[in-house]
Amino acid sequence: MIRRTLPLLAVLVLTLGVTACGDKKPAAPSTPASPAQPAGPGEPVAENAGDGGSEQLPDEPLPTDPVDPVASPQPTPPSPPVPIDFAHNEAGSLIPGSGSGYLDRTVWSPQMCFPFEETAYANSQVHGPGGYKGPAGTSQCNAAAYSLPWRDNFCETRGYASPLCANGKGHQGQDIRPATCKKGVHWVVAAEAGTITDIGSYSVTLTGSAAPHRVYRYLHLQMSTLSVAEGANVARGARLGRASNDFGSTPTTIHMHFELRAGVAGVSTDGKPVMVHTFLPPYLSLVESYRRKINGGSCS
Amino acid sequence: MGPWRPIALSGLLFAVLTLPAASQTAPPSPASGPGTARPTADQPRFQAQTAPRVTRPPPQRQPEPGAQGGAPQGGIDWKSAVTGARRSEGDQALLGKIDRDAIDRTAVPILLPADPALTGNARLYSFGDYYSLTADLSGVGVSLTGTTTTVTLPAQSPLKMSADAPEQLVIQRTVDGQLASFVRFGVLYTVEVRCDDPKDVRCRNDGLVRQIQSQTNRVVMGQAARQAAGLGARP
Repeated sequence: MIRRTLPLLAVLVLTLGVTACGDKKPAAPSTPASPAQPAGPGEPVAENAGDGGSEQLPDEPLPTDPVDPVASPQPTPPSPPVPIDFAHNEAGSLIPGSGSGYLDRTVWSPQMCFPFEETAYANSQVHGPGGYKGPAGTSQCNAAAYSLPWRDNFCETRGYASPLCANGKGHQGQDIRPATCKKGVHWVVAAEAGTITDIGSYSVTLTGSAAPHRVYRYLHLQMSTLSVAEGANVARGARLGRASNDFGSTPTTIHMHFELRAGVAGVSTDGKPVMVHTFLPPYLSLVESYRRKINGGSCS
Repeated sequence: MGPWRPIALSGLLFAVLTLPAASQTAPPSPASGPGTARPTADQPRFQAQTAPRVTRPPPQRQPEPGAQGGAPQGGIDWKSAVTGARRSEGDQALLGKIDRDAIDRTAVPILLPADPALTGNARLYSFGDYYSLTADLSGVGVSLTGTTTTVTLPAQSPLKMSADAPEQLVIQRTVDGQLASFVRFGVLYTVEVRCDDPKDVRCRNDGLVRQIQSQTNRVVMGQAARQAAGLGARP
């Protein structure tokens, strides 16, 4: 009986002791037990971070080998999680033969929300599959158009003015295919908080509330099923409508043409100061926002 | 067995026993606010891509300090703007149904076209140092904006445009229309036309946008602009 009861008592004592330990409040931030990394608001704080990992989070590895306490009195801090990345070509690297890309690497909308609710594929709808300058005999629904890597197409050869492009003309935005080659299915969302200042027959214009009041234009949505009306104030990440191929009386391929505009101060080619409201390259803002998205970032 | 193994085992036992408590202190999952990207049953779930990058480009640059919203060099030429506003005081009919509160919130001189057909149904969206006026013609959307905030381009990235045009007027053909950008009173203004039909000749050439831009010469200053100009609240 005693032999049967003793182990049970031992477990009870251990459990009570552990519970009591669990009731301890975390040490005051001013007296850390060890030089732990500062944690941001809402982040889990490791109690007694230097005691051998007793409070390690479940997904962190526990030490399995003996550690020399003299040589290494502190356990090696866990490596920060490796961010997930995705395959994409460099900014300014256009499809060969489709023009000269814009090479500066400024991220013009650093906190932008990725403008699709799901995955999406930035590439060229003109020089890619199904495009009128794309590979012969391909369909717009070709798998190559719906796979990585991404490809920049700002400044791709066009007749449209675009003062940042090498010859002053070129594609004024980025073509983005939705998750699948289906129109009216995939949600497009607000890149930042702002107001819908215009809705055209195949365009939605969002003006950012905060300076510098970037203007985002979304073209070729399914205009008959938009979620917003002109004048609507929208939160970052709010649904605007679904990607489609609306383009007046002649549909285009299923994609969203995404533009980023702002007032720009710079110098002209002859070195004089100028101001112009024009098109900024959105590619790197898209890359950064998509990277945040696949790493669990939220737009809300 | 080394001296540290029992400690490690104790640590493991401790971690297992306290896991529920630890989970209670974990940060809550992000709230599902308006527009949060959240797949639903009828939508494909977002698939994270883990393929390596195709290239390893040089580090990306954040805009230079002040590059994301600086005011134009030299500030607003309030003297000229006030003169323009006084000349336009007889054109109150142009204001039509434009929201007077939005006018009063706008801290830059507002330019209006001298065409009641354009302004009569216009809607003004004010962001203080930026405004956007939206109007309609038959088959054509018209937008006028004004701002004192700009981003600054890197010096090695010149704009392919001439600085010699009057008021730095630049006409840019867009996917769906024409965009005129110009500088007056030290403020950056635009006039843009967008056609319902991309083949509409009014958007294929710059005649219409130039016509509207040339007649966009009426000046309205609301309360915020008048205060910024050092005037009283109302004329």
